[in-house]
Amino acid sequence: MLKINNLNAKIQEKIILSGFNLEIKPGEVHAIMGPNGSGKSTLSNILSGKKGYEVSGEVLYENKNLFDLETEERAHKGIFLAFQYPLEIPGVNTNIFLKTSLNSIRKAKGEKELDALEFLKLVKEKAKELKFDEEKLNRQLNVGFSGGEKKKNEILQMSILDPKLSILDETDSGLDIDALKIVADGVNALRKKNNSFLIITHYQRLLDYIKPDFVHVLMGGKIIKSGGAELAIELEKKRI
Amino acid sequence: MEQKLKTDFDKFINNSNFSNQEIKLKKEALDNFLKNGFPSRKLENWKFSDINQIIQKNIGELAFYNNYNIENEINDNIFIKEIEHNKIVIVNGKVERLSFEYEEKDKINLSSLDNFNQNLNDDNSLLSLNNSFSNKIHNILVKKNYSFKKPLIIYQITNEKVSNTNINFQINFELEENSSIKIINLSDDNSEKNFINNLFNFNLGKNAILKNYKIDIKSNANIKYDYSNIIQKENSISEIFIFSSGSDYIKNEVSCNLEGQYSSAFINGIHLLSKNKHHEIRTNTNHLYENTKSYQLIKSVINDSSKSVYQGKIYVDSKAQKTDGYQLSKALLLNEQAEFNAKPELEIYADDVKCSHGSASGSLDDNSIFYLMSRGLNQTTAKELLINGFLLDVVEKITDDEIKKLLKNMIGLN
Repeated sequence: MLKINNLNAKIQEKIILSGFNLEIKPGEVHAIMGPNGSGKSTLSNILSGKKGYEVSGEVLYENKNLFDLETEERAHKGIFLAFQYPLEIPGVNTNIFLKTSLNSIRKAKGEKELDALEFLKLVKEKAKELKFDEEKLNRQLNVGFSGGEKKKNEILQMSILDPKLSILDETDSGLDIDALKIVADGVNALRKKNNSFLIITHYQRLLDYIKPDFVHVLMGGKIIKSGGAELAIELEKKRI
Repeated sequence: MEQKLKTDFDKFINNSNFSNQEIKLKKEALDNFLKNGFPSRKLENWKFSDINQIIQKNIGELAFYNNYNIENEINDNIFIKEIEHNKIVIVNGKVERLSFEYEEKDKINLSSLDNFNQNLNDDNSLLSLNNSFSNKIHNILVKKNYSFKKPLIIYQITNEKVSNTNINFQINFELEENSSIKIINLSDDNSEKNFINNLFNFNLGKNAILKNYKIDIKSNANIKYDYSNIIQKENSISEIFIFSSGSDYIKNEVSCNLEGQYSSAFINGIHLLSKNKHHEIRTNTNHLYENTKSYQLIKSVINDSSKSVYQGKIYVDSKAQKTDGYQLSKALLLNEQAEFNAKPELEIYADDVKCSHGSASGSLDDNSIFYLMSRGLNQTTAKELLINGFLLDVVEKITDDEIKKLLKNMIGLN
């Protein structure tokens, strides 16, 4: 599904990723762990198409060059980034945003766009599953949401858009244990045969609830160690 | 220009049937205008919008004679279908229709004024110009305790019969105690290169409520000055909303004179400008008595080489203790050439007041655009959504739901 070969990234002459390699196959869950500044967020930004990085190397998504696709085209083709810091968008109603987003993607895929009623039915169902306060859907996007609510909103968007490759950028940070469980349930519900996940995290605790197939350690812009789920536990112990 | 003004004035007077008193006042007004001419940037009020130069550059020689004896046809297609409403239809500065079909006839008094507000003349030469060349002034009096059942839409039309001409129009509204009215001003210009000078006078009695929504959407190459002068007695409320995007140049000026205690004025406005437009809003809120309140929220979205100006002055008289004044202007500049000028002013002579003002300008946030695009929205849609979001809180200030809905549709905000 995703194949990264020798990815290098710079921002304002500062090297952030250098010689980064990773392959994610359909249905796999990969976790990337590493200290602050190791390049975790840069990786997720580059994969979802954020401008401003000087990039070289090769990233293939479904055997096509990812860099040929604009940000929104990546979303249309099933890439989703759950933001570490979801943005507050004043004046934009959450429901209207979600509907515009879903229908943009459905349209690009050649599927029928949902009308208001169909959409509301879907969003209500998903909100309920994630114990997301429905009333918040009528508010301005993320404005006045608590940190946890913003993160849950990301997962709500993810479950509505049903992406093939979901990248979770430190979704667990700032979440209490209940919210963490809900977020994990949301991810696990999407874990179908062909959906893949790239989970970026500082801590092992999210991985107690979402069991990864592979764990990688990112340091100095490249993966220095890879292993199974047990690697995360090992890392956590070392830190203590 | 002086000779042209004099000849056109004589022609205008000869073709009208004004009383001697009116002619005398009109002559005085003309003399006042001749003395001062069109305002230029030397005047503080006009420093960002030198109308003298703007007229010279875009129109050149202006004609001042306007034949009010011509009957203008009105095409009913232009009327708003979505809401039932009363109408005043003005074509080229002449009132062609006054219809208050939804109201109780004995609650409204229509007359024409033969005396206009002389004190306005002093420092604004455009008001003198208006006083000298405007047709008979209609006076609409809403009687005590009467609230208009339906909104009044004032259609301000210009047609292709006029060009390179100065059109002056003036109307008066008097709201007696406990009365209320909602007015939408809608411009429909099918002309170009005219200088249109409008004056609206409002006198609000005790507890009276005025809601006035001024909409200039239709693209046109006219130059406009639109002045609303509002006098407010005890406990009266004025709510003004300005949306302008259509005319090449427009300056909307609103003066609220809070003369009675607990009176309040709310002025909100939006500039949505592209190509090469130049729009200004100037507000003067004059707190002249204790316990009065004013609020202004102005937002501009400026694209291409357009220019938006906001000048907002809050004046607090020494008598006006416990004044509550708030003012905020914000601009979103969509490219390098776009320009925003703000001049907030506070002039305070009382010592127990609460006044604040602020102004900010910036561009669309790249991170927000990225966030929306990462959810499948293309760049255009993402930007539109952010611009709508930026402007929405101004529209939400409209307190009449029916009109809010109408205007949202009209200006394309959701």
